[in-house]
Amino acid sequence: MSSETRKLLAVFAHPDDESFICGGTLAKYASAGVEITLVSATRGEMGRRMGNPPYLNRETMAAARELELREACERLGIQHLHFFNIRDKTVEFADPDQLADRIAGLIREVDPDVILTFHEQWGGHPDHCAIGKATIEALDRTELEKALYFISFGDAMEYPEVYGYFKKDIAKINVSGQKKAKLAAFRAHRCQTEIDEWVWLSDQQAMRRLGNYEYFIKGNEEALKRDHDDLF
Amino acid sequence: MRPIIQSEVEELLRVFIGEDIYVHSEATSYVFVRNFKVKLSQAFVAGDGPYRVAFRFDQIGWLRMEALTHYELDEESRLLLAGYDDRGRMNVALHIGKEPFAE
Repeated sequence: MSSETRKLLAVFAHPDDESFICGGTLAKYASAGVEITLVSATRGEMGRRMGNPPYLNRETMAAARELELREACERLGIQHLHFFNIRDKTVEFADPDQLADRIAGLIREVDPDVILTFHEQWGGHPDHCAIGKATIEALDRTELEKALYFISFGDAMEYPEVYGYFKKDIAKINVSGQKKAKLAAFRAHRCQTEIDEWVWLSDQQAMRRLGNYEYFIKGNEEALKRDHDDLF
Repeated sequence: MRPIIQSEVEELLRVFIGEDIYVHSEATSYVFVRNFKVKLSQAFVAGDGPYRVAFRFDQIGWLRMEALTHYELDEESRLLLAGYDDRGRMNVALHIGKEPFAE
């Protein structure tokens, strides 16, 4: 049984990346029995949103966001969580060789079928791009054949040509059945979402704001072999 | 964190005068410095809210920040000052303590 369990490793930078960007997909695979391991390189302790009204300060934020992430993991069905203890906003300054080695070690240990990370160029934040770059390097070092995907924001990859990709490079995951879990994960990240009024409307109203699909850029040959509506 | 009362913050700052302190200072969207160590010689609070705070250092140098709105003396006796906007977003922070802050 355990040898047949499908596994997914997500290597991200901040608490909330997993929920806001691809929470529906993670919830979908978790409910289908996929074992999910999440890395958050930082604790998001340099975030700007401190609750609304504010109840955090710079020194209390790391612990608060760790707790929030643990709750979000429960809402999404993520079983394993690792922090790399890198200070928020400094991932790009971490030793790239050590960082890649550390991720490579985790890839060997977890032995996932699918790896998710940020696109090195289109990650949208220096920490995102840096962790994406390190993960690409890490997978190379392992010489393992794992399907690598880059997460993307909203429905930007409906038009992949803008980013130098084609439809064949994109996996489009239907997450219309996971809106409840995704919304619960948004709400778990309370200090970050209190400012967004829509998150706290009724479930029905709030879920209407969540898209039906999440999009992933295929990051290697192994991913290109897979279907366009499934990461596995 | 509570809204700044100038006289109370001035009194809390007095404890750090003449001491070696560690400073965390940030303008959230642009810059942060963490754990620079200086000897504080003077500390000032000015304004009607938001407030301006300035430090003078023992040998040479200034640190001046504005837009500070809230303060707290935390459980580790560190003085935390911060400036929030009306929706809870941090604009600035200025923390001082006698021990280093967590890296």
